[in-house]
Amino acid sequence: MSQNLVELIRRHHQVQAPTALEVLKDAVEDHGEVTDSDRERAAELSGLPEAAVYGVSTFYDDLLAPRGARHVRVCTGTACFAASGDAHVDAVRAGLGLELGERSEDGSVSLAETVCLGFCHSSPAVRVGDAVDAGSGAIERAIAGESRAAPEPEWRSLLSEPVLTRPGDWSGLRRAMAELGPEALLAEVEAGEVRGRGGAGFPAGTKWRFAREAAGAEKFIVANGDEGDPGSYIDKYLMERAPELVLEGLALAGYAVGANHGFVLTRSEYPRSKPLLEAAIARARAAGLLGEDVLGSGFDFDVTVVEGAGSYVVGEETALLACLQGLRGTVSARPPFPAERGVHGQPTVVNNIETLANIPFLAARGAAAYRDLSPGSETAGSKLVCFNERFARPTVVEVPFGMTVRELCEQVAGGLRDGAAIKAVQIGGPLGGILPASRLDTRFDFDALAAEGCMVGHGSILAFDTATNMRDVARHLLRFGADESCGKCFPCRIGLRRAHEEFAGSEPVDRERFEALLEALELGSLCAHGGGMPAPLRSLLTHFPEELGLR
Amino acid sequence: MSTVTVDGVEVEVAPGATVLEAARAAGRWVPTVCFDERQAPFGACRVCLVGIEGSPKPLPACTTPCREGMTIATEDATARRVAGAVVELVLSELPEAPAPHTELAQVAARLGVEETRWPGTVHQTDEDFRHPYLALRHELCISCGRCVRACDEVQGAFALTATGRGFEANITAGLDAGFEDSTCVSCGACADTCPTDAITEIRLLPQSTEEGWK
Amino acid sequence: MTTTCGYCGVGCRLETHVRGGRIASITPALDGPANLGHTCLKGRFAHGFTRSPDRLTTPLIREQGELRPASWGEALARVVAELERVKRDHGADAVAGLASSRATNEDCYAMQRLIRAAVGTNNIDNCSRVCHSPTSFAMRKSFGLSGATGSFSDIDHAEVALLLGVNPTQGHPVVGARIKQAALRGCKLITIDPRRIELADYGAIHLAPRPGTNAAVVLGLCHVVRRDGFVDEGFVAARTEGYDVLAELLESYDPAAVEEITGIPAAELEAAAHLYAEAGSASLLWGLGVTEHKYGSEVVQLLCNLAMMTGKVGKPGSALLPLRGQNNVQGSSDMGALPDTYTAYRSVEDEQVALSFEAEWGVPLSRHKGMKIPEMFDAAIAGELKAMYIFGEDVAQTDPDIAHVAAALEGLEFLVCQEIFLNETTNYADVVLPASAFLEKEGTFTNAERRFQVVEPALDPPGEAKTDFEIITTVSRALGHEMGWETPWDALDEIARLTPEYAGVSHERLGRGGLQWPVRADGSDSPTLYDTTFDRPGGRGHFAPLPYKPPGDAADEEFPLVLVTGRVLQHYNAGTMTRRTANADLVDRDLLEIHPVDAARLWIADGDRVSVRSRVGRTEIEARITERIEPGHVFTSFHFPETRTNLLIGQSADVNTSCPEYKVVAVDVRPIAEQPAFSPALGTTT
Repeated sequence: MSQNLVELIRRHHQVQAPTALEVLKDAVEDHGEVTDSDRERAAELSGLPEAAVYGVSTFYDDLLAPRGARHVRVCTGTACFAASGDAHVDAVRAGLGLELGERSEDGSVSLAETVCLGFCHSSPAVRVGDAVDAGSGAIERAIAGESRAAPEPEWRSLLSEPVLTRPGDWSGLRRAMAELGPEALLAEVEAGEVRGRGGAGFPAGTKWRFAREAAGAEKFIVANGDEGDPGSYIDKYLMERAPELVLEGLALAGYAVGANHGFVLTRSEYPRSKPLLEAAIARARAAGLLGEDVLGSGFDFDVTVVEGAGSYVVGEETALLACLQGLRGTVSARPPFPAERGVHGQPTVVNNIETLANIPFLAARGAAAYRDLSPGSETAGSKLVCFNERFARPTVVEVPFGMTVRELCEQVAGGLRDGAAIKAVQIGGPLGGILPASRLDTRFDFDALAAEGCMVGHGSILAFDTATNMRDVARHLLRFGADESCGKCFPCRIGLRRAHEEFAGSEPVDRERFEALLEALELGSLCAHGGGMPAPLRSLLTHFPEELGLR
Repeated sequence: MSTVTVDGVEVEVAPGATVLEAARAAGRWVPTVCFDERQAPFGACRVCLVGIEGSPKPLPACTTPCREGMTIATEDATARRVAGAVVELVLSELPEAPAPHTELAQVAARLGVEETRWPGTVHQTDEDFRHPYLALRHELCISCGRCVRACDEVQGAFALTATGRGFEANITAGLDAGFEDSTCVSCGACADTCPTDAITEIRLLPQSTEEGWK
Repeated sequence: MTTTCGYCGVGCRLETHVRGGRIASITPALDGPANLGHTCLKGRFAHGFTRSPDRLTTPLIREQGELRPASWGEALARVVAELERVKRDHGADAVAGLASSRATNEDCYAMQRLIRAAVGTNNIDNCSRVCHSPTSFAMRKSFGLSGATGSFSDIDHAEVALLLGVNPTQGHPVVGARIKQAALRGCKLITIDPRRIELADYGAIHLAPRPGTNAAVVLGLCHVVRRDGFVDEGFVAARTEGYDVLAELLESYDPAAVEEITGIPAAELEAAAHLYAEAGSASLLWGLGVTEHKYGSEVVQLLCNLAMMTGKVGKPGSALLPLRGQNNVQGSSDMGALPDTYTAYRSVEDEQVALSFEAEWGVPLSRHKGMKIPEMFDAAIAGELKAMYIFGEDVAQTDPDIAHVAAALEGLEFLVCQEIFLNETTNYADVVLPASAFLEKEGTFTNAERRFQVVEPALDPPGEAKTDFEIITTVSRALGHEMGWETPWDALDEIARLTPEYAGVSHERLGRGGLQWPVRADGSDSPTLYDTTFDRPGGRGHFAPLPYKPPGDAADEEFPLVLVTGRVLQHYNAGTMTRRTANADLVDRDLLEIHPVDAARLWIADGDRVSVRSRVGRTEIEARITERIEPGHVFTSFHFPETRTNLLIGQSADVNTSCPEYKVVAVDVRPIAEQPAFSPALGTTT
């Protein structure tokens, strides 16, 4: 990240200036597009140079598609693809007479694609304004202008006492402040061996320790709510149904690290996350649980919610910090790590929402109790998983580590509905490996899945049924990957485009050449986007070589 | 000071030195495309990959800090294979081969990369010759970021930016209305650092005449 | 080929790439000590002038009012004949020479030797007279040596930098960029200027004093330093003299009194003083906004006071850096192209020094100080100065009160100009000799860090033009004084031989990195001065107790606005070179900056042509409305001869050095009708 731009932003931030991205988003909300005059205004208000603002305005999905009075966004995520292929997209294009990214001449309606709305349990999904409709009839209603908000299934827990699928009660924070103190709390988190739940699995305690010891005038905790993985709606549920739990986790992190300010980065594709979190913050402040002198401890901690603007890579922690500060969401080389230099150049901890939601229980009951939540596994804590619409009982479920994928698919989610059969399952997100039906007895755990070329990732379990063509899956994943590439590093920027082009037509794909391309992506990419894309493709090459059409 | 070994040669490096600095101190060549010694390392091109003992994958030399006792292999087979593949990818997005004098062409030649295994869409021609001195040919831009960083970290005019996303990424000046209409001070640092002549001096273009200034 | 830029005092090292006898391109040298692989649009791109069709390629002689081509033989014969005639009939002191601060050290040294040895007078001056001569005078008085006390690299180590009367992002772009980067990394800038310069946007404090009140500002800062206990007592006691007298004077410059004079709010002055004084290291930078004033030389001494009071001199990060304008302002004066000194500022009255030059040159030399430029013009009008030999300076465009200058030049019996283009001054020349641009000569320049750097030619001078060095040595030979040099490097060797402070300088030793004087015989040089002792008798720095005095001009009812003149990024001074490049496409005219409040009151819209009238002259310029300037002031540049900006500047000049007060001129500004009413020709006043 440009140190100079971060410094300019920091200087303006001291006078309560908005970020350039915030100003541009407001412009789109207000008049449906971004003009040069908006850019100039964003530069003036935020302190970011005009050219940099221009760059921001060309990066994020929300700023690029022109909006009519009625703005229809159709989801092209993997769960919606698994449900209907591209049929729902074709239907809405035909029905509205617009291409994706187009606005009608009279400005009354516009169509854009969006990935993903988090309604994977009821695919296909379509958003009109801020209401998300999904399931049977949703597309027709969108075309007719009669969309309504779709219901969301209740979440549940397999544990005897829910740890994650419960509203927060602040008992962890109370105990930490009354009995532990920051150093002891940090030690508990380290002892608890909490692994990041966003996909990287990095030990949270280690990250917190670095940040605590780093030199800096101010420190920050950032909750990564940018759950862009198509098929995943876990963080959505946490932010919208248990915001207090998330806030408690943030406050605990701040207390342990010595940070007085937290941010939550939410997705604009989840329009309810920000308002629900902000309402919870207001309640918490009123109760003395956030703000100055939390619980009379002398420790200040407050939280700001920032909404993104449509970019998958912003889920990567350095890209996230760039977006938070109003810059282009591109990835930065590490070191320096955010724990050393993050928001405004200061030490920053970035933790996934679910990771933070694990902390209140650990603070309240201790590291041993936390480690024992999954008796059938070495891994500490529990995990939220979610299922896509193909399943009979799709929702978010809290499970212990160590169950097999088959158990999760058949017992927990009830198998596929309408008697359909599982052909393959993609676990953890679009960069996760794909397990064929024959390998479902693999245990759902970090090492076991890694051995199969898969990952726990974010925890989504997305089934493709036997009607799905795996070459279509390859093409779908590569299109997503190429579209979402931030464009900074060469292997991903060019390599994913080339990989997509290989599968875009119907020509056979030269296996050796393709494998060499995958190697360049895996070993050369700057981050796990380009670096991770080979995993599901290798699964497909291994398990479905004929269907892929190789040479 | 720490001591590291580069291709069997021990070399002392200052605290905070990168593997690339160590390699150069040892007189060893590591190919780079997005690196410029006048700017902070960026880590975009991934061509400077080297082998490091103990690391399962090759690491980028320009952004990896040295540690005491590190053993570095600049010609590690995997590293070079991937670096070569990356250069092939970059060549594949350009509408024509880079001019022989450009840094990109020289790195490709030295790595022995001539053709690409992955041809595909190339950049569309988009030339901007509005400025009296600076020519900007967007189709030759490989988004290495050096020009943006020169304008940021050296001149401090902040006139350039990366634009777009993914394969459509490129660069532009100001609000995409040309150098003159931006905060550009015409210092030429961008042209000086560009490894493909996407930004170059207009008088050096083949189509410029020798007439001299009117 | 690697050379040194000939535009400004930063002294970027440049790589010249030549193809087919023309310069194909110029790129910055990665190892240039002053520029570190960077440069600006002038050094990089503005070289096309070297082959402009306007280039002088043959000597010219004026016949019946017109200049016509002549051969070198004819031209030289005329020059020699005229100079000898004037010498014979009126004495050597009726001849004067002007050396160019854009030319090399060797060119300037040759010129002063020509005037002193071949002609026989000390009437030699150079154009630093009109820009940084006050710096030279003041620093010698306070510290001993005439130059920056440190290097540009001190900017990277300064916790605080105070910028007074200087706009580096325009006038010294590479140093301006370096300061900006330092500011973004945490160096706190204090900018003091009637205009809100670009660096103020990156700085901690900006003070906007009324033009001409700099002395009060600096005295106020010193007052606060003393009052609030920031004086470095140890340093003052061990390394300086005269503090007590200064301390007494400072009593009357409390922030309230300073606010009365300068308009700067007291609290802001105090904040600035504290910021400077509390820093571990702090540097002072200034430019022509300090020197081109009636009391410019006094303000520089006051700045030296401030540094000495706080012990912030002679240490890394605590440097005093006058940003000298032209590429060789430093060198042209170092070389003794001055009426009162030989090389290294040693007085012409100093017997020992004079004897050493007499011994080398084999002729007797005058012990009387010669005339400074303004005195030369007065003498020309009075009929006492009869002949001038000017090279590389367009006095009729860039000196103040150009009506007065025109009259002076008209009054001469003989004027020879050595130039690369015809200009306003050559309108009065009897002979014009075609000379060389910086890209066509070899020798050295000395930049604002006292660094001698090598200049190597990329091209030959065009047509029959010759290098300045060759012309001057040839004229000298024709006048009967053979200098005995084959190349400029021989001249450099002589300079080193005769100047203890440059003893170790040689072509070989300079290499790619140059050397900062003083350079000892063993070749070791001096990035930082005064780390243990000052270069004055006794080794102590001198505190100068100089009170504030008002400037030579002030706004009144008839002339209610104050005009400040200066430069912009894209052009250099008279624009002789830059106007003949595509830089003129980027900026094609001078503009008058005016604040919206003043513009509204005067019914002026952005882009209107306005009349600007001072006590001595009138001109017309296009208006540009901006909030960077304070109400009550206007600003313009002087790059385009048709603007005739310097018609407006009067005779007010620095009391010690005669550097003109370009920065405070009372003017009346008003919009004009579409037809200009009357545009008098110059030189018709008696």
